[in-house]
Amino acid sequence: MRAGGRRNRVRTTIAAATAVLIALAAGGTLASAQDASDAPATDVPVVLTVGTTVDLITDNPFAVSAGSDWTVVTAQYDMLLKFDDASLSPAPSLATGCDPNDDSTVWTCTLRDGLKWSNGSPLTSRDVAFSYRFIIDNNIPQYRSDFKFNPTFETPDDHTLIWTSEEPTFAPEMPPWAYIVPQKVWQGVDGKGLQVIKAQPNTPSIASGPFVLTEWNQGQGWTMEKNPYFWGQEPGVDRIDFRVYSNQEAMTQALRNGEIDVADGIRPSLVNSVDGIDNVTVQKVISDWWLNLAFNFGGQGPDANPLPALQNLDVRKAIEMAIDKQAIADTVYQGTATPGDTIIRPASAFWHLDIPADEEFPYSPDDANALLDQAGYVDTNGDGIREDPSTGDPLQMTIPASSDTTGAVEAGQLIVGYLQAIGIEVDLKPVTDAKMNDYWGAGNFDAYIWYWSGNPDPNYQLFVFTSDQCGSWSDGCWKNPAFDKLYEEQGKEFDRDARQKIVFDAQRLVYEQVPGVVLAYPGWVQAYRSDRFEGWTPAPGDHGYLMPGYNYDSLVSVHPVASSSGTAASSSSVPGWIWLVAIAGIALIVVVVVRRGRRGDLDEA
Amino acid sequence: MGARRYLLSKFLQAFATLLFVLTFNFFLFRVLPGDPIGLLARSQRLTDADIAEQRATLGLDQPLPQQYVTYVEQTVSGNLGVSLRTARPVWGIIASRLGPTLLLVGLGTLFATVLGIMIGIKGGWQRGSRFDTSTLYGSLVLYSMPEGWLGMLLLITFAGILGWFPAGGYSSGGDLTGVARIVDIADHLFLPVLTLTLGYIGEYAIIMRSTMIDTVNEDFVTIARAKGVPERMVRKHHVVPNAFLPTFTLIFLSLGFILGGAVVVEAVFSWPGIGLLTYNAIQTLDYPVIQGVFLLSSAAVILCNLAADVAYGYMDPRVREA
Repeated sequence: MRAGGRRNRVRTTIAAATAVLIALAAGGTLASAQDASDAPATDVPVVLTVGTTVDLITDNPFAVSAGSDWTVVTAQYDMLLKFDDASLSPAPSLATGCDPNDDSTVWTCTLRDGLKWSNGSPLTSRDVAFSYRFIIDNNIPQYRSDFKFNPTFETPDDHTLIWTSEEPTFAPEMPPWAYIVPQKVWQGVDGKGLQVIKAQPNTPSIASGPFVLTEWNQGQGWTMEKNPYFWGQEPGVDRIDFRVYSNQEAMTQALRNGEIDVADGIRPSLVNSVDGIDNVTVQKVISDWWLNLAFNFGGQGPDANPLPALQNLDVRKAIEMAIDKQAIADTVYQGTATPGDTIIRPASAFWHLDIPADEEFPYSPDDANALLDQAGYVDTNGDGIREDPSTGDPLQMTIPASSDTTGAVEAGQLIVGYLQAIGIEVDLKPVTDAKMNDYWGAGNFDAYIWYWSGNPDPNYQLFVFTSDQCGSWSDGCWKNPAFDKLYEEQGKEFDRDARQKIVFDAQRLVYEQVPGVVLAYPGWVQAYRSDRFEGWTPAPGDHGYLMPGYNYDSLVSVHPVASSSGTAASSSSVPGWIWLVAIAGIALIVVVVVRRGRRGDLDEA
Repeated sequence: MGARRYLLSKFLQAFATLLFVLTFNFFLFRVLPGDPIGLLARSQRLTDADIAEQRATLGLDQPLPQQYVTYVEQTVSGNLGVSLRTARPVWGIIASRLGPTLLLVGLGTLFATVLGIMIGIKGGWQRGSRFDTSTLYGSLVLYSMPEGWLGMLLLITFAGILGWFPAGGYSSGGDLTGVARIVDIADHLFLPVLTLTLGYIGEYAIIMRSTMIDTVNEDFVTIARAKGVPERMVRKHHVVPNAFLPTFTLIFLSLGFILGGAVVVEAVFSWPGIGLLTYNAIQTLDYPVIQGVFLLSSAAVILCNLAADVAYGYMDPRVREA
C-alpha cells in the first residue's frame, strides 16, 4: 500500500471527525435556540415546574393512596363544597351552599350556573348524585365514611341536589371529602368491583377543576394543563410540570439551579441547606399529622401480651413526663415540628385543642421517677431496671418504630434514653410499614411509634380511639366509655361552637388518660423560587400548603413575578455534555495526529 | 452431530434454569414480612373486610401452592398480572421503564466494554509501560469505587458546582420535540452513563490485560514472531483473538444484566429505570411487579449465557470438538 494513500485516508478521517464534533455543538445550539425562538413571546406558555420525590401512584380518583395522588386529584376535581383557605371550614365550590330542613335530615344544595367539564359538556346535579352514589354503592374506602345514615340523592333539576338522610346529619356541609366526577366517564365501571374501578385509566382526564392531567410517565413526572372551562378565576399559569426525583438532595440542587420552581417536600435535615439560598423562599407548613407513641392494652388476639404495667395510668403518665418533646422537635425535626399534646392535628385549627403549658404534664424525669416510686415500681436488684411489684418482672418494653414515617425511628432512639433514665428498658425495633401492620394486627408489642393524620373534620380521628375499634383501627385497644359517649355526642351536635366544646373535652380526656403520647406535630416543608413566582394562597392559613393539600386555590392564584416568565420551556444554552464531548474528541484527535507523525511507518509490511 | 448435541444440551440447561428461577422467585418474595394489601390499610382507610375482599379478588387468599400454579399458568401464557399497588398491567409498567434502562445501562455497558477492552489490549501488549501502569492503577481505583459515591461526586461537581448538567431526571419534559428533545435527554443521560462507564471500565480493562499477558507468552506467538510477522499483525491476528475469549463471555453476561437496571445509579440521578422500579416494588410488596422484573432479568441473563455458550463454541473450535 502506498504511504501517501494511507496518510490521505488518515487526514480525511481526522477532518471528518472534527467536522462531526463541530456540527454536533452547532446542532445543539441551533436546536435549543430554535425551540426558544420559534414561537412569538406572547404564545409562550407560562409553566410552573414542581419537583417532588413522591411519584404519582395512580391517576384514578377512586384509588388515591398518598402524597402526589392527592395533589393531582385536588388540583383537577371539585367537591360540592370546599375547604376554605383560612381554617378548612366549608366554603362554596360547585354548590353555593347547602341548607338543612328543621331536623337536618334533608339538605338542599344549589349548584352555580354555567358549570362545565373540561371537554365543554355541562356539569349538573346528576353528576354530583352519581359521584356520591358511586362511592356508596362501590364502597370506595377513601370516601365512604362521609356518607353515614344511608343517604339518598334526588336531582329535581340541573342545579339542585337533595340529600336525604335516615338520621339527622351535618355531612353535606362537613363537607364530604369526596370529588365530583363526570357520570359519562365513570358509569361504565359502576358496579364492576373495586379492582376494575381502580384499573380505569384516567389520563387525559375530564374534570371541572382549574387544571387537568394531560400526560403521565410514571417514574418521570406528569403534566397538568389549564382547564379552559374552569368555572372560577382563570389561573395565572398555563401548565404545571411535575418532575420526580428519587432523592431530595438532587431536588434541592435542581431548585438551586433553576431547573424547577418549587420543591415539594423537603426533609428537616435539608431545610438549612435551602434556607438562605438567594431567591428561594421556604414555607414551613403547619402540621396535619402527628407522631404517636401508642401503648398496647391487649385484646387483639392470642399473641397480644403487652406489659401489664401499662394498664396503670401512673406508669403511662410517668413515661409521658420522661419524654422531652421539645428536644424531639428540635433534634429530630430540626425545628420544623412543634411538641405534641392532643390528638387533633393543628391544621384543623378550629377543632385542635392546644392545652396551656401550665396544664400539661411537665417534662420532668425527677417527677416521673417519683411517680413510679409511689406506684410501687422500684428497682429491687440494682440493675437500673424497675420491677413490676405484682409479677416481679422487669419493666421492659418492645417498641417497633416505623422507618417509613419521618422521624419515628430517630425519636424512638431518643425515647430509649429517656425511659432508661426512669428505669424502663426499651428494645426499639425499626421496621417498615409492612412489618408495622403485622405488629398492629397481632398486637404483639408493648408500644409502637407510628403516625395519624386524620381529616379536616375531627370525626374520623376521634372514631379510631373508640372502644369498638379494638382489632380494627385502634392502636392498642384502649377502651374508655366516657370517651365513647363524647364521640357519639359530637357526631350529633349541629351547633358548631357547641360541637367544638365536646371535641375539646374529648381531646382533654384522651390527653389525661394517656392511651399514648402525642410526641410531635411535624410540619411539611416546601420551597419555591421567589424571583419567578408569587401570589400563593397557602391553606390552611398563612403557614399552610402552597401546593394543593386541601384545595386548589394556590394553583389558581400563583403567577409569574412581573419580570419573569417562569421556567423556560427549553434551555437556550448549549448542553454541557456537548462541550465536554467536543473538547475530549478534539484532544483525542490532536494526540492521535501527533503520535502518528512521530511513529512513521516502521511496522508496515 | 456433536454440535447438535452440544446445542441441545445448552438449551435444555437454560430451560431448566429458567424454571428453577420462576419457582425460586415466587417463593422468595413471599418470605418478605408484611401483607401487600394490609400495607394500604392506613393510607386508603381499608377495614378488615376490605382487605379480605381485595385479597380474595387478587387470589392472595388461596393456599400458596394454588397461587404458584396460577402464577405459572399466567406466566406461560404471557400474562404477568396487574400491579397490586396501581392495578395497571405489569407488562405495561415494565415496558415504560425499558427504554430508559436500555439507554442508561446499555450505553454504559457498551462504552465500558469497548473502552475497557481497548485499554486492556494496549496495556497488556505494552506491559510495564507508563500507559500500562497508569491505566492498571486507574482501573483498580475506579472498579473499587462504589458507583453511588462516584455518581454523587460527578453530580455535585458537574450539576451542582459547575451547573453544566441537570440535577437528575430523564428529561425536562414540557413541549420539547424532535432534535431538541433528543439533545435534552442526552443532556440528562450524560452523567449517569459516565458513572456506569467509569464504574465498569476497570473490570474489562483488567481482565483483557491479564489475558493478553498470558497469551503473549504462548508458543504460537513466539513462532509467529520467529517467522517475521510484524508486531502489529501478531497482536491483531494472533494474540487478541485468543486473549479475547474470557472477555467475550463476560460481555454476554453483562448484556444479560442490562435488563436488571442499575438501581444505585438510577437512585442518584433520578433515572426512571427498572432498578428503581424494582426497589419501589419491593418496598411496597408489589409481588406481580417484583416477579415480572425478576423473571425478565433472569430470562435475559439465562438467554445471554446460552448465547455466549453457543457463540463460544463457534469462536473456539476446541470447545466444539470436546
